[in-house]
Amino acid sequence: MKVLKKCISMLLITTMMVGLMGCSSNDKRVDNESATEQTATADAGKDTEKKIVLGMTLYSLKNEFTVRLANAATKKAEELGVELKIYDGNYDPSTQINQIETMISDGVDGIILNPQDAEALSVGVDKAVEAGIPVVGVNTRVKSDKLTSYVGSQDVYAGELETQYMVDLIGTKFNAVIIEGPLGQSAQIERREGIQNILDKNPDIKILAEKTANWSRSEAMTIMENWLNAFDNIDAVIAENDEMALGAREAIKAKGLDIPVIGVDGITDALNAVESGDMVASIFQDGAGQGSKAVEVLVKAIKGETVDKEYWIDFEPVTKDNVAEFKLRAQ
Amino acid sequence: MDTIRNTKKINLKQILSQYGTLFGLIAIVIIISIIKPKFLSIDNIMNLLRQTSINGLLAIGMTFVVLTGGIDLSVGSIVGASGMFAALVAKSENNLPWYVAALVGISVGLLLGILNGVIISYLKVPAFIATLGMLSIARGITYMASDARPVPGLSEDFLKIGGGNIGPIPIPVIILVIVLVICYILLYRHRYGRYVFATGGNALAARVSGIKVKKIVCSVYMISGLLAGLAGVILTSRVTSGLAQSGQNYETDAIAAAVIGGNSLAGGRGRLWGTVVGFLIIGVMNNGLDMMAVSSYWQLVIKGSIIIIAVMLDSLNEAKS
Repeated sequence: MKVLKKCISMLLITTMMVGLMGCSSNDKRVDNESATEQTATADAGKDTEKKIVLGMTLYSLKNEFTVRLANAATKKAEELGVELKIYDGNYDPSTQINQIETMISDGVDGIILNPQDAEALSVGVDKAVEAGIPVVGVNTRVKSDKLTSYVGSQDVYAGELETQYMVDLIGTKFNAVIIEGPLGQSAQIERREGIQNILDKNPDIKILAEKTANWSRSEAMTIMENWLNAFDNIDAVIAENDEMALGAREAIKAKGLDIPVIGVDGITDALNAVESGDMVASIFQDGAGQGSKAVEVLVKAIKGETVDKEYWIDFEPVTKDNVAEFKLRAQ
Repeated sequence: MDTIRNTKKINLKQILSQYGTLFGLIAIVIIISIIKPKFLSIDNIMNLLRQTSINGLLAIGMTFVVLTGGIDLSVGSIVGASGMFAALVAKSENNLPWYVAALVGISVGLLLGILNGVIISYLKVPAFIATLGMLSIARGITYMASDARPVPGLSEDFLKIGGGNIGPIPIPVIILVIVLVICYILLYRHRYGRYVFATGGNALAARVSGIKVKKIVCSVYMISGLLAGLAGVILTSRVTSGLAQSGQNYETDAIAAAVIGGNSLAGGRGRLWGTVVGFLIIGVMNNGLDMMAVSSYWQLVIKGSIIIIAVMLDSLNEAKS
């Protein structure tokens, strides 16, 4: 009997947990899911009032920048009275494709895609468009011409801005290392292009090494530690995002050095670092603006209004002079 | 009289601990369907099966390994490596038929599996260590082969392996079913299966009774590697490019599926259909929780809890015997 009881109780716990999870996910919705479906089929007159449902998959929800984007999107969705379901792609393109398929099965009215990989996710866009669901890309690009629209910032420009800032700061002749984002993600490809544009204009800049740290602070720290042991003449660190810039800076400080570091995004820690002088500057990316605009554009498209193919939100350099203003904005 | 009543009691207990996870799966499916009726749509079920097929293949391979008391931590990396080599061959510009690329991928998996098997059974390195090492080695090879850059532009035919359907059924699902049938026959209708169970149950006794234990142990890692290679081909075809990070951490779900299914990590005890229930539970959870828009952070907590609960259920079965 004891065994029986144990088994039953464990099964009950499992099933209760699943049930709980089903209920706890309601904080993003106004009505209960099944209720909406019942009323939708029961009352034809109410069809025009049926809530628009959007799905969004981000390449990760495990870093500040994407969480900022997701939060702003959620806020905008609430403002516009639409439902928004958010999925974490876990840095895995296959997972994101799965999530898109789930969204299609779920019958969403529109999808916002923040792809991990520019090539792999074109399959996802194809599937959605085939099912008649409009897709708006946000923040990172996907190799597809089937997007209804793309909301983002010019990553090539970000790469140029940060490299040019370094040139303005320390001159046209120096040795640098480059820390990159995940290889294959549009942000990495385009920021590297931007960096290269400025490097081409300044042939006296020597790149001692470059490597990907996959947007990770800890990976960047390890890479920087190794480079500091390998080279004793690094004059500057150009990182494609703040997390990695901060990781590199930790490694530099640990060795008692003071090499200028620059990054992109303008996350909270970076703003603090710019203020304290730990980072020379950061190129602020308005993630909140992107998330919010993407929802706005998608809802417009679903309602049949015409939308532009691309919406660009500017990158803005953050330096000691203007960091206070950005800290206020990041609230 | 007493004995008759006793046997009745034991049967009920046995049924629960034997089929506990199956009941669990059914219960979860019912609950999710009530909360989200769309979960049971043909469309979604097919998606679910297609998405689970990769883990399914890995879990089946893992079952053979676990039955001998071993473990294969390298399957995720083997998926990555096989997928990458398949992609390099499958590039449209090479003009090679899809089956050449698929064969290359599967062969890479088989080769790495053989390496694992030899290191473990003949060089006597413990499975945990050997496959942990292979996890790194295979991943490193994958990065080297691709220079850490994605390999896109694969031939149309190759892409159909992971993305195509035959009728309403996704091709990966058909592959999974075929593999399942073959492995069932191997494990339960062929003396090979009995040797595997015997080796896991008591390797010494098995050797003494004439079973070539070393060959058996080596073979299960070959099977695991081969199936991981197949999974790698399917995965690469599905994401339409060779990606260096493909398959990262996939070994966790494969082991979880085998364990949830009642396969003891100590070896000698387990069942293939249990693994099927195992990877279906994981697949249903992933798909169902996504459908219910449960936050990804909660999903991690739930997945871990299910694994622990399943092992607790399983240890009851063992404690009884």
